[in-house]
Order: sequence, then structure tokens, then C-alpha cells
Amino acid sequence: MTIAKRLGLATIVLIALGVTSAYYVTMMALQTRSGPVTSFVFIVLGLLAVATVLVMFVFWHGIGRAMNRISGQLHHMTRTRQLGLVMTDGAQELQHVVRPLNELLTMLNGEMDRLRADRRELEIQSRIASAEKHHVEAIIYSISDAVIVTNRFDELLLANEAAEKLLGFDTSAALRKNIDGVISDGTLVRLIRETCSHGRSSHRRVVEHSMDRKGQPRTYNITLSCVVAPNGEVSGVVAVLRDITREKEIAQMKTDFVSNVSHELKTPLSSIKAYIEMLVDGEAEDEQTRQEFYDIISSETDRLNRLIQNILNISRIESGVVTAHREPISISGVVKQVLDVAAPQASAKDIKIAQQLSPVYYQIEADHDMIYQAVLNLVSNAIKYTPPGGTVTVKTAVDEVRRMAVCEVADTGAGIPANDIPHVFDKFYRVSANKKVAKGTGLGLALVKQVIESVHDGNVSVVSEQGKGSRFSFELPVLN
Amino acid sequence: MSEKILVADDEAHILHVVSMKLANAGYEVVTAMDGEEVVEFCAADRPDLLILDYQMPLLSGTEAAARLREMDHMKDVPAIMLTARGFDIDREDMESARISVELAKPFSPRELLEAVQRLLAGCTHKADVEAL
Repeated sequence: MTIAKRLGLATIVLIALGVTSAYYVTMMALQTRSGPVTSFVFIVLGLLAVATVLVMFVFWHGIGRAMNRISGQLHHMTRTRQLGLVMTDGAQELQHVVRPLNELLTMLNGEMDRLRADRRELEIQSRIASAEKHHVEAIIYSISDAVIVTNRFDELLLANEAAEKLLGFDTSAALRKNIDGVISDGTLVRLIRETCSHGRSSHRRVVEHSMDRKGQPRTYNITLSCVVAPNGEVSGVVAVLRDITREKEIAQMKTDFVSNVSHELKTPLSSIKAYIEMLVDGEAEDEQTRQEFYDIISSETDRLNRLIQNILNISRIESGVVTAHREPISISGVVKQVLDVAAPQASAKDIKIAQQLSPVYYQIEADHDMIYQAVLNLVSNAIKYTPPGGTVTVKTAVDEVRRMAVCEVADTGAGIPANDIPHVFDKFYRVSANKKVAKGTGLGLALVKQVIESVHDGNVSVVSEQGKGSRFSFELPVLN
Repeated sequence: MSEKILVADDEAHILHVVSMKLANAGYEVVTAMDGEEVVEFCAADRPDLLILDYQMPLLSGTEAAARLREMDHMKDVPAIMLTARGFDIDREDMESARISVELAKPFSPRELLEAVQRLLAGCTHKADVEAL
């Protein structure tokens, strides 16, 4: 029997005794009215009442303590979010409440463990998914080609910086909006739509498309691929726009180059073949004419060789296999050698060559043959693009402050349009407006730039005005 | 009276060798070093045959020929084109310039002379020339 039950029974017995005693005492007092008996009975009744109160107090105090402990344990569990069993410390009378409570708690604990495990699993999966998403976004953002991803409702899902710049929208504002209102280029919108609506899982197409960027027409290769959901349906489109303007320009330059080079090679070859045939056919009747023909064949062979050498030099410098034989040389000395060679070319066109060579003796450390070639290219260009009667001025000077030797070749020729100036040193590049003024391979200035800048750490520059003339100059560090 | 042939090329050596070959064969030769010179000459005179380089300064061979074809007296003058380019010859330009014979550089002066003789003998039509 539990304390509570015992206490309860004792309380009932005491109350019953108390009530019975009170009844008898009252009855006896009414009948006898005897004093001592009445006093004794009152004492007994008082003791009984005190005992009753004590028993009640002990009983409720025990219950209260057990309840407090349970409540404390439950609070602790709430605070720590750790479910455990409720301990009653022998308060057996609460067992019929505590046992089912503990069963419930055990069940909840199991359930919570399972939920926690599930949550951990979900968190891990979510982290992986989030990391993968960041990874994919980082890849897409790092691509220099413009990338646009749309869903099956043609709404923008993702676009990288290159796409924002190219198409002029702000992704954060354009997200989930129909591409119709985001992309102004009608053709691109149509292509994305078509790919989405006609798309199959293997559907991938590449379209060449021209778009204006900052007012300049540029050519793009647009690769459109379908994004396919696990059920096989097309769930969106990925469009990648690659700027192929430069590639196309280079391809065109190469075509022009091959064409120009073959033309340039065929020209001296034509002379050689023609003069040899003339000799074979006995068309040169006297010894003097025959000698003239031999000289032409010889000089044209040299020209052919120079041309091939030029092409080889530039490709060797570009591929980095060239070795410069650096030695102390004077630019003025090299210029004099060049002018000796170029004089006949100039006088044939009635072009005056003015020399303004520095009187100060200074030297640079450079490869003589390369610098000679660079100066020769500048001087012969100046002569080529200057009309008869013009002047080509060659200057050398030294900038004492910057310790640089400067060489300048100025002409009164065709000049270069402002648009072409940034490209004149590009390999194969030829100024369209001047193509008819003189022939060329588009290699001469490219070689000058390579020799001065790549090989000798100097720099080249040009100032020009169309119709008035050009001034090319280069500078190299002076030897201390 | 010998026939007059206008030879145009910006390469002095080619001009020299062609002139000598034709002069040795008894033709009268006049030379030009660019397309504009050709047009200027033909505006005042009428050569019996034209030998033009395809790529020349100021006006190319085909551009010069096209200009000549606009002149009444130059409409039917046979023309030989010397070309040093292979794949980028503009066929339409060649067609409208009415070029009778095309000789690729490096060419043989002997073959050039034969073509000149054939054309001046009267076979001005391209097909006839090629059939020979």
C-alpha cells in the first residue's frame, strides 16, 4: 500500500473518529453537562483535529514535492530539448501518472531522434545542393562567353555578367521575367523560343548572328541547348553567345596574308622566269642586254629571298625561338646604311630624303641586323606611301633625361585614317584606303614592332594625318 | 603599220621584259604603271590590244578595263590579264571587263606572245582563243 493510500486511509479514519467523537461529546454534553468529562473529550477532539491537519500536511507536502520535481525535470527537458525519463524518488502514488508519461516521453524521444537524423540528412543534402548550385553559378559566371538560362515558360533563370553586359540588363531585376521584356534582340528571343518549343533532349544548334555592341557590329556564335527534365520533357534552354568577331577578322587576315604573300612571291618569280626564258629564246641580242638580264634575275632572286626571310623572321620572333645577337651599335650608323640602300628606291620616285642625325655619339645594345631591318621597313614604307616629289625625313636623337635613343621616320605621304592607326602594327593588317597606293604583305610594321618591343624592350609609336603624312618613331634605352 | 599594244604593270621588270618580247616581234608597245595611266592613255588613243596586270595601284586591271569598256572606241579591244593571285580573282569583274585571255604569273613571255598573235589575228572571242 502506498504512502498516499495509507495517509488517505488514516485521514479518513481520523476524520471518522473525529466526527464520531464530536457527535458523542455533543450528545453527552447536552445530556449530562458534566464539566471534567467535557474537558477531556475536547482535549481528545483537539488532538484528533491537530493529528488530522498534520497528516494532511505531510500528505500534500509529499505530493507537492514530487510534483515540483517532475515539473523541474520537464522544464529541464524543455530547456535542453533533451527528453529523458521522469524520476519520482519513491513517490509511488504518482506512478500511475508518471509511467504513461515516461512511455510517452520514450516514444517522443525515439521520434525526435528519428526527426533529428532526418533533419541532419536533409541539411547535408541541402548543403551539397547549395554547394553544387554555387559551383555551377561560379562556373557560369567565370565564363567569358555570355550565358543565358531560361525555363520552359521562356523566363530568365540565370545569366552571367558577360550576358548582362552584352544584352544590357540587370539579372537581379530580370529574374523570372519573360525574355521578351528582358532581351531587346528579337532574333535571340526567337531562337530561344524555337529551341524550347521544338526542342528534343538531343537538340543542340549553333547559329551565327550579328549584333551591335556599343555601336559596333559584332558576330556571335550562339549555341542553343535544351535542358531536359528527368521525365524527358524540355524544361528550359541554355544559350551561350561567343563573340567570334576577332576570330573572323583573323581568319580574314590570314586569307589576305596568304593571298598577299603568294602575290608577293609570284612577282619576283615572274621576272626570274620571264628573263630566263628570254635568254633561252635568244631575245637578248647583245652581251650588254644579256648582262642586264642576269643582273635582274640575280636581284629578283635576292628580293624573293628577302621576302621569305621577312616572313620567317616574324614567325620566329612570334614563336619566341629567335636569339638576338646584342652588341653596342649606333642607331645613326644603322640609319646611314639603310639610307644608302634605300636611295635608289627614293630617287626612282623623285622623293627627297632629309637626314637629321644626332651629332652626339651614343650607343645602344641591340641586334644590328634586326634594327637594320626595322629601320629599313620604316624608310621603305615611307617611300612607298609618299607620292613623287615628296620628302622623307629621318631623324635620330637622344633623350638625355630618359636615357633613350630615338629614331623617327616622317613622310609627306598618304597618311593613315584615325580608325586604322591602332591596328597598323597588327600582323597582316593593311590600311584599306592605302591598299592601292602600294603593295604590301602587312608584315613590315608588325616586324618593326616585334623587333623593337618584344626583342629589345623599346617602344614604337605613330602619329599620322590622312593626306598629310605619317611619323613613325621608336626608342631604345641608351647604353651607359 | 604595226599594231599598238598597251602593257600595264607596276613591276618595272615585267614591263621591260614584256615590252622587249613584243617589240622584238614587231609590235609597237606603250607602257603604263598603274590603272589610271591606262585610262588616261586610252581616253586619247586606241591601242589594238591591252595587256593588264590584275593588281595595280590606283585602279586594278579589272577596274581599269571596266572603265575602258564604257568608252565607245575601247569596247571591242581584246584584253589579256596577267594575274598573280589564285583563289581571290573576282570572276564577275573579269566577266564585265571582257577579258579575252587570262595568264597566271609566273607566265611565259613566249605564251604571252602567242596569245597576242592569236588575238590580233582576229579570234577576239574568249571561247575561240581557248579552243586554239
